[in-house]
Amino acid sequence: MEGLDFAGTFDDIVDSGLGWLGDNAGALFELVRTVLEGFYGAVLWTLSLPPFYVIAIAFALLGWRVVGLRFGALAGVALVVCAAMGLWPETMSTLALVISATILALIFAIPAGVLTGFAPKVDRSLEPVLDLVQTLPPYIYLLPGIALLGYGPATALAATFVVAVPPAFRLTSLGIRMTPNEFIELGQSTGMTNWQMFSKIRLPFAVPSIMAGINQSLMMAFGMVVIAGIVGSGGLGETIYKAVRTLDIAKSIDGAIAIVILTIVLDRLTQGAARIGYGGGK
Amino acid sequence: MTTVNSSEVLIDCQSVWKVFGDNAPAAIKAISERGLTKKEVLQEYNCVVGVSDANLQVRRGEIFCIMGLSGSGKSTLIRLLNRLIMPSLGKVLVKGRDIGSLKAADLRQMRARHIGMVFQSVALLPHRTVLENAAFGLEVQGIPLAERNRTAEMALAKVGLSDWLKRYPGELSGGMQQRVGLARAIASDPEIILMDEPFSALDPLIRRQLQDEFRQLTKDLGKSAVFITHDLDEAIRIGDRIAIMKDGLIIQVGTAEEIILKPADPYVAQFVAGISRLHLVKAHSVMTSVAEFQQACPGVDIRALLRTNPEADIDELITLTMMSDRDAVAVVDDDTIVGIVTPRGLLRSVSDGHTAELAHA
Ligand SMILES: Nc1ncnc2c1ncn2[C@@H]1O[C@H](COP(=O)(O)OP(=O)(O)OP(=O)(O)O)[C@@H](O)[C@H]1O
Ligand SMILES: [Mg+2]
Repeated sequence: MEGLDFAGTFDDIVDSGLGWLGDNAGALFELVRTVLEGFYGAVLWTLSLPPFYVIAIAFALLGWRVVGLRFGALAGVALVVCAAMGLWPETMSTLALVISATILALIFAIPAGVLTGFAPKVDRSLEPVLDLVQTLPPYIYLLPGIALLGYGPATALAATFVVAVPPAFRLTSLGIRMTPNEFIELGQSTGMTNWQMFSKIRLPFAVPSIMAGINQSLMMAFGMVVIAGIVGSGGLGETIYKAVRTLDIAKSIDGAIAIVILTIVLDRLTQGAARIGYGGGK
Repeated sequence: MTTVNSSEVLIDCQSVWKVFGDNAPAAIKAISERGLTKKEVLQEYNCVVGVSDANLQVRRGEIFCIMGLSGSGKSTLIRLLNRLIMPSLGKVLVKGRDIGSLKAADLRQMRARHIGMVFQSVALLPHRTVLENAAFGLEVQGIPLAERNRTAEMALAKVGLSDWLKRYPGELSGGMQQRVGLARAIASDPEIILMDEPFSALDPLIRRQLQDEFRQLTKDLGKSAVFITHDLDEAIRIGDRIAIMKDGLIIQVGTAEEIILKPADPYVAQFVAGISRLHLVKAHSVMTSVAEFQQACPGVDIRALLRTNPEADIDELITLTMMSDRDAVAVVDDDTIVGIVTPRGLLRSVSDGHTAELAHA
């Protein structure tokens, strides 16, 4: 009976593994947690500094420059709506979570994507790992996350980071690999060094794909907001999670509206930035 | 047409083969042992023969045209000349050095300084202005901004695009884009320019103009060029010598006149059939020897004939014959009469080979 209890044995292994990690690498996870919370805290602090209308106006101006006048105006109004619902601090804390997780993900994913772009073999061996990450239900790594990083924004940030990495990583790698052959030949025939080939040919042609990756990563991060609420992220995710548990339908809808507003505004902004970034003058 | 004084060979292509496909080594072996044709190689080894056994020399100061139909291997051949493609067999010498054995740094140097290339697809960078595109080769060489912009502006002026410096390639017509591609190659001041069908996307009028400009420019700058085209008229207009390709093989190399007067095989003959000879065939190839002429017309004093030089073309010879009251024109080289052009000889030269065959039949 004992020998046949695979599930139990496996559970034991996982438990003791986690325990071992907590005991022996505790200092490391403490450090990770401090860094994550510090970074998140800094972003949140910056966003909370100005009053809500300054942020709303800033988004309106940005939207106007990047997308257009109508979108800019709508974005400004939509953010004021978030404040009017009494959810401004939560909205900013969610924004801080999503932005800091995405920035951390990009810092990792873009250089890694560039490297694998040059090494198709590495890329092929990483594909299954990325597939796993993208198909794994996030709930599965929330608990180990709490065990190692504790209940709070650090775990929320780590979980969001995990889902935000694959899109930017994949699309960066793809962009680097997909340089049109004629431009590779142009580079070769002008006598380029490998570094020049990368910086003057491959990277510029990869920009649209990388931009699309950034946008996708950001969207994945937004998708994690509510789940992150479960592990104590604070912000709109936690508002909704609590509202669901207390069957406060109105509150949960308010929270959802705020999330949708943030998501749409940032989606359009990054798409617009991608267009400008690639189009050069045209 | 300027004659090539220096016979220094800049590019020497020695029995070069290029076979595409996974089985290329086996296919090469079979070709050298059994002499398979392109078709057989494709069937047996699933390999495409891009270029087979190409030999050619490009000399300093000459424009060397490679002519052939689509798929005949022109682009493959020109890419072998600056090692964008490695030959499966044979070697390519550029300025006496085997580019197949150059070290990476030397190869870069060779490409940056000595061999420029203009692509069939133009390949202008879409996110850079016309000026930045034209200065691209210099940028790669690390020339400072002000200097490279000055050089690129001059190159753009040569192709008539001075007013378009700040525009993006997307705002230009196809012909203008091709001129930017040409300016980019000229700006780096290479000794040899490789051009892969640079004018094929243009309408006939612009195309002729660019052909003449290109020829003039190349000669003025003292450059050498390898120029690919699928249009024999263009090859004749631009080229000092022409190589004709078919199925990866170079069938014939020669001046336009040589190719038209002595096509190597029926395929070439078919190509040249429709070409007007008026400006291509020269006095030296239509004249009869003095002895032969005197045998046929004993009474004529050849010293009293109108005179011309051996490079006079048929059009000029016809005009001279019409002006003359005698039925012949003397061809003079270095003050001695080297031959006589008769109306009979003129007529024979303007008709193509076909009618001559009919007369014999
Ligand atoms: N990278 C490649 N892989 C496999 N086959 C190739 C490759 N490049 C060219 N070929 C083959 O080699 C032959 C010659 O092609 P190439 O591009 O040199 O022709 P071309 O004379 O330049 O034609 P076009 O006038 O259409 O440009 C063709 O049969 C083509 O299919
Ligand atoms: Mg071609």
